[in-house]
Amino acid sequence: MAITYEPIASTTLSSATNLITFSSIPQTYTDLRIVWVFKSVSSGNYPFLRFNNVIESTFSYTTLYGTGSAAGSQKSSNNNGAYLVSYAAASTTDWQMETIDIFSYTSSNYKTILNRYSGSSNFVSAGVNLWRNTSAITSINIQFDSEGNMPVGTTATLFGIKAA
Amino acid sequence: MTITNKVSLKSVNAGNTPISDVPNAPAIGAVADAGDGTTATVAYTASTTGGAATTFTATSSPGGLTGTGSSPISVTGLAAGTAYTFTVTASNSTGSATSGSSSSLTLASVGKYESISTTTVGAGGASSISFTSIPNTYTHLQIRGIGRTADGSTGGNLATYIRFNSDSGNNYSFHQLWGNGTSASSSSGTTQNLIYTIYAGPRQNDLASTFSGQIIDILDYANTNKYKTVRTLGGHDMNNTTAQRVAITSGLWQSTSAITRIDVYLESTMAQYTQFALYGIKAS
Repeated sequence: MAITYEPIASTTLSSATNLITFSSIPQTYTDLRIVWVFKSVSSGNYPFLRFNNVIESTFSYTTLYGTGSAAGSQKSSNNNGAYLVSYAAASTTDWQMETIDIFSYTSSNYKTILNRYSGSSNFVSAGVNLWRNTSAITSINIQFDSEGNMPVGTTATLFGIKAA
Repeated sequence: MTITNKVSLKSVNAGNTPISDVPNAPAIGAVADAGDGTTATVAYTASTTGGAATTFTATSSPGGLTGTGSSPISVTGLAAGTAYTFTVTASNSTGSATSGSSSSLTLASVGKYESISTTTVGAGGASSISFTSIPNTYTHLQIRGIGRTADGSTGGNLATYIRFNSDSGNNYSFHQLWGNGTSASSSSGTTQNLIYTIYAGPRQNDLASTFSGQIIDILDYANTNKYKTVRTLGGHDMNNTTAQRVAITSGLWQSTSAITRIDVYLESTMAQYTQFALYGIKAS
């Protein structure tokens, strides 16, 4: 059997920055997965993705979260990025992890993105984003919505998953 | 061929008891990939002349990794993707002799996450997707897919469900936590004849070109001492045009049979481009 879960690219920040980019993504996989371990240098930052450097209001999300005392769900439409956490901004003190699955990223259908957030701060969440764009995804930007920085030690790895 | 400490004539110790000659070098044989991504086997033929060897040692280059034994010798700890040659050294208490180098061998990488089978629904739609004759050589299984139904109405939220080994008895149960963008809720089912995994999402007349995403993990699926646990993450968003949902599920199949077949259903006909892929995950 062929290997079907392969690292494509990985970044570990040696200086704080507000943007991690995976570009020239091979079009040979079925799905993509990103594992992102991060925190925010400043408060009030919400993590999100953009694809192909497109900035347009073609994203929407539905999320499910738990705070330890209650569960809730939120949604938002016509966003300009794929928001990965809706309940609270990224922690400035605790490392958090996002696992992001981008399905059928080369297809000519709209793109569905699932994500799981695990933060030690105060909540856990899962979400689905829709990008209403039929272009194949060739680059991914990982960033905060208010251009806040990610600190040294932030890591992001892009994997390709290939179906037989 | 390299010969070290070669003694050409039979040596005699102080008590006039003959001791062994140094062995002649073995002839290097075939090298082969053992298939685990880290091990090569190295064949050799011992010389029929010279002293009797007590040890045969295969050595890799680069790396100097070694293995001992009779032919073929296993050398472990190698790196997949690196070209190696090997020599075999015959030795006894008197000395040693080393063969020439083998042909080059590059070990193939071995995946821990492998694609087993994939089905994409064609223009005519499909009632289900089946994965059959699932090998029992993995630790866990994962199904990844995108789903859309050909149901002619709107409103989303048709479920995906699965069955194992064609068992349609009431041997399943599940618990689900889900959100629709406004509130979160939880549901469950016991003595079910299936496991509802997630809501498959868009119907034919919902937002076009939109599919749910689904990840279904089936843990320890070949273990005959355990019931089988399933966990899922899935959802679909439709830009707030109609029903949308994200959900996580745990499920249980109360059977100790190894899973050899999985049937995936939507509550309505699967639309074109619905795709489910089965992967195997190895623990080691």
